[in-house]
Amino acid sequence: MAEFAFEPESDQVHLAPGETPREIQGKSPWQLAGRRLVRNRIAMASLGLFLLIVVLCLLAPVYAHHIAHTDPFASNISGTTVVNGKRVDIIQQGGGGLGLGETPIGPTWQTNYFVGADNSGRDVMARTLYGGRNSLEIGVSSAVLCCLIALVLGVIAGFFRRTTDAILSRTMDLIWAFPVYLLAISLATVLLTKENGLQWGPIHISSSSLWVTTTIIAIVYVPYVYRPVRGEVLSVREKEYVEASVSQGASNWRLMFAEILPNIITTVIVLLPLMIATTVLTESALSFLGIGVQPPQASWGTIIDDGQALLYTRPAVAIVPGIFIVATVLSLNVLGDGVRDALDPRAKVRVRE
Amino acid sequence: MKRSVILFSAVLALVLVAAGCGGSSKKSSTTSTTASGGTKGGVFIGLANAAPPGSPDPQVNYTAQEWQLLIMTHDGLVGFKRASGTEGTKIVPDLAESIPKPTNGGKTWTFKLRSGIKFSNGQTLTGNDVKATFVRLFKIGDSPNAGTWYNVIQGGDGCVKTPASCTLDKGITVNGNTVTFHLARQDPEFLDQLAMPFVLILPASTPDKNVNIPPAGTGPYKWVQYAPTKQIKLVRNPFFKEWSKDAQPAGNPDVILQKFGLSVEAEVTAVENNQADWMFDPPPADRLNEMGTKYANRVHINPLTATYYFAFNVNEPPFNNLKARQGVNFATDRNALVKITGGPKLAVPTCQVLPPNFPGYQQYCPYTKNPSAKWTAPDLTKAKQLIAASGTKGASVKVNTDTTDTDKALGLYFVGLLRSLGYKATLQALSSDIQYSYIQNSKNHVQFAFSDWYQDYPAASDFLNILLGCGSIHPNSNSSPNIAQFCDKGIQAKMTQAASTGITDPAAANKQWAQVDKEVTDQAPWVSMYNPKYVDFLSTRVKGYQFSPQWFFLIAQSSVK
Amino acid sequence: MTAFIVRRLIGLVVVLFAISVLTFLIFFAIPGVDPSRQLAGRNPDPATIAAVKHQFGLDRPLPIRYLLMMKRLFISRDLVSYGNQALKVVPTIWAATPVTFSLVFGAAVIWIVFSILLGLLAVVFKGTFIDPLIMILALIGISMPVFWLGEVVNLITQSPNRSVIWSWVPPLGYVPLTQNPWQWFLHLILPWITLSILYIGFYARVLRGSLLEVQNEDYVRTARAKGLSPRGVLVRHMLRTSLITFVSLFGLDFGVLVGGGALLTEVVFALPGVGLLTYHSLQSLDLPVIMATVLYGAFFITIMNAIVDVVYARLDPRIRPS
Repeated sequence: MAEFAFEPESDQVHLAPGETPREIQGKSPWQLAGRRLVRNRIAMASLGLFLLIVVLCLLAPVYAHHIAHTDPFASNISGTTVVNGKRVDIIQQGGGGLGLGETPIGPTWQTNYFVGADNSGRDVMARTLYGGRNSLEIGVSSAVLCCLIALVLGVIAGFFRRTTDAILSRTMDLIWAFPVYLLAISLATVLLTKENGLQWGPIHISSSSLWVTTTIIAIVYVPYVYRPVRGEVLSVREKEYVEASVSQGASNWRLMFAEILPNIITTVIVLLPLMIATTVLTESALSFLGIGVQPPQASWGTIIDDGQALLYTRPAVAIVPGIFIVATVLSLNVLGDGVRDALDPRAKVRVRE
Repeated sequence: MKRSVILFSAVLALVLVAAGCGGSSKKSSTTSTTASGGTKGGVFIGLANAAPPGSPDPQVNYTAQEWQLLIMTHDGLVGFKRASGTEGTKIVPDLAESIPKPTNGGKTWTFKLRSGIKFSNGQTLTGNDVKATFVRLFKIGDSPNAGTWYNVIQGGDGCVKTPASCTLDKGITVNGNTVTFHLARQDPEFLDQLAMPFVLILPASTPDKNVNIPPAGTGPYKWVQYAPTKQIKLVRNPFFKEWSKDAQPAGNPDVILQKFGLSVEAEVTAVENNQADWMFDPPPADRLNEMGTKYANRVHINPLTATYYFAFNVNEPPFNNLKARQGVNFATDRNALVKITGGPKLAVPTCQVLPPNFPGYQQYCPYTKNPSAKWTAPDLTKAKQLIAASGTKGASVKVNTDTTDTDKALGLYFVGLLRSLGYKATLQALSSDIQYSYIQNSKNHVQFAFSDWYQDYPAASDFLNILLGCGSIHPNSNSSPNIAQFCDKGIQAKMTQAASTGITDPAAANKQWAQVDKEVTDQAPWVSMYNPKYVDFLSTRVKGYQFSPQWFFLIAQSSVK
Repeated sequence: MTAFIVRRLIGLVVVLFAISVLTFLIFFAIPGVDPSRQLAGRNPDPATIAAVKHQFGLDRPLPIRYLLMMKRLFISRDLVSYGNQALKVVPTIWAATPVTFSLVFGAAVIWIVFSILLGLLAVVFKGTFIDPLIMILALIGISMPVFWLGEVVNLITQSPNRSVIWSWVPPLGYVPLTQNPWQWFLHLILPWITLSILYIGFYARVLRGSLLEVQNEDYVRTARAKGLSPRGVLVRHMLRTSLITFVSLFGLDFGVLVGGGALLTEVVFALPGVGLLTYHSLQSLDLPVIMATVLYGAFFITIMNAIVDVVYARLDPRIRPS
């Protein structure tokens, strides 16, 4: 894309008349990358969009208490609200001769019930913002966790090769083929039915904890990051500076952390925004199926699930959280492209190898 | 029986390969009208999201979905009259010529079978088939009520213990077409239990193992296809001759289909477009308004003898305290709960155990603002007083429900309500398939759980004794229907009294059951929520719709021509 | 090569075994699960539950039950569902397979054609506005959750208030190809498009990236020097090499989808394929069906993994199977 084109640093210095040459200050590769990223306007715009969404979601309590004056978590079946000066039921009875069905209020385009209510009479806009906190929290933490685990395992596998590599790679195959939905559903059920959540020594996981979903998603995508990391380690391993270190008598650990790791960290950094995008999508899918975030917590996926029963009468409930997901994931994808171009503008598209 | 067996077969069971979506109806070329009413001929196309779960064996299956079909293909010694309203709760003789009076202190029942009745495989019905049916009930080992209802027959208990050697030689004696039952004790509900599908009479040649399609029967139709992935197909039984219009009328359609695989939304659309005649599943909430306005003349709503409730656990704090339970009952806004389920046209608030139009039912509601027999409004002041007096404020409560939209919304309502009353309430929503067993097991220490109950047959004990009797508590078992663990010696004695009065004087017994209902309600083991209604949505083709309180839509008696 | 294939086949068996054991253990670790209770129907008395337990061999130790289930699944193929005893598991999976295959194959055809087209267009028109436009569209395609997109499609085409343009759209469901090809097509066209949008975006970007990378290779310059037109170079030389990555990624994604990864699309469009079967069996905790669908999925994923490694090695002699 034209906007992502690399602008070469000119090494010709044009001196104005009377100016003495200054010493050339070298910039580290990180600084250069940073400059390239900042100059990339589209990437900066999408970073801005992502941060905007994060801030909006963090401000969910402010929105609910001070702007909308609604409680996005309490069931509000018999409640009423004021729309255009008139007091109306939040959940309204069906019309016609039979009077069947109860439909929640639709978008009011005012501060209260901006995009309407759901089946329990809760403000969908406020819920979407609260849900965003969970979706983003799970998305970011599982991506970070995933990259950390994959980094460590990839370095170990690529460095030690042979048996270690074989075992780790086959384990990755196993994880990749494993039914994530079964794991999610069983862990969700275990947590729900244990009286006080799970207790492993000092670690206590309550049934409303987000950690179960976070860990499942993190583990499931480890193979995805592991493969390119391991591939990079294998190629870096053969480079001269590693050989030089070996001939200097460096220990394995020193080699791994001082020589190899810094050279493959860019692989992981490039993958990180893309992984966050992927984990946000996965979390929404699991929550949509009812095996991710559990009530009373909400997430974008659970709200879309709630919206299924209202799809033809109150489509806003299903559509609004989806728009947030698209905006978040899109901004992360564009940012990811920008980061990749900044770190290595001549890089190949990162693929599984 | 539990609602899930009626309405959840769609949600719980597997979704399988679909048959043609809304296929065209095949009309037969013969048209004739009979004196019994209704035009004969045509193909009745019903839709269901999935096949009835469980075993297809008629002596094992416990779903209203399959029962609705079995009554068209099989007969019992007696049956419920095939009529709507209270007429439909009367028991009439079916394969038996008449309803006998029991002798020997109510322990001996002698039935004389009608002669000349044939199974759909050509065999003639004899007393041996009757005895063989009852023996098979025990021999197959997994008939749900063999050990609770039919062990009243002499030898029944032994048969439950060692099914393989079951003969019931002492319990049932056969003499040609006369069949005599020898009971171990009096049973006022024996006739009701004889009318249930578990003991629809099968040919003696039926194997002793669960079958994959119901075997030959004496009814006007026979099963020719049971493909759980595709459809059920019933066609006319060529050997059937109508012997009693009340018990087993000749059917109108030539073929009855029930096709599986469509989503519930697609089913509504198919019936709207007359591509199918009827859908078994309850319509989804977002189509109700549309159905009630554009297609109002094709929608039929009938009350169900069922109660939806949340059960307290009277042995677990904080609800081992009577005042706390009563306080929550006073605070509950039953109108809001009715709204969640689809509005006042689809459910009626209740405070008590028995449903309306049920033997022993006398409307009673102590938990309402303005004292009256009917619930009108919650009384929050009284509620808060009671809860303050109970000293349970601040306790943690887990509100247990299942994950379907409606039940989750009900649970959410109670979480909010309990919080406003000062409890620390949280929601625990389990998958529908494990929720019911989970809440029955005392190991799980549930405090407040959603459940429902549909009648098996019209008898007050079916609700009060099964759900709130001391004998229904089985600790540490997944089968303990008394979820509230309610056991009151005085009330139990009254139940026993009412049961024995019922043997000789049903009217007096019903008054006693009404008293039991009152006393149980006062003890508040439940928050009774509402009594639901059943929605039947039909195509424009269907005429002669009748709703039996026992079997629901009487398909065979409608016509599609 | 043979040694490699043998090694991977052994790996496949090991993976399937490990997954089946894990599935079995995870299932029985779920509290509240009691197959005999499920099989015994509603409100049985405790004696009935015990009888059912014995009848179905549920009172035997776990390893024996595992072996019995594997035998019934693979050898005698008469494994029966916990939810409906008339339901044989293996035929049910076979019946659901054509649905999933129809969905995935159709979507795959669409996404291959369009992603190659879009990727080529983006490269040919690099420098004009068309390239970034295509890439933004591709990114948007990748960023939409497929189940949400499906719901939006349903909202537009299935709603009782839908516009007349959509009156041709049949109700949700599936019609077998052998029964009515035209209806089969009509029922699947929207699910195909929904499922493929995600992959069109991804693969268009992959292809574009590969093509750009290959542009500076020696053999391309040689071809140009020989007088081959830019389009000829593009198609005959660059595309072929770029397709290596494309093909390997395609194999992996295809394996996942065919193995039940199209679950969300099947749920939203009510297509009774393997994905929907998996989902419902998980919801109803029906172990026999869960086991069968999990192994079915794992089989396809692992086998496509291995095939892709082989194909990649053959196509690109620089990479040797490790």
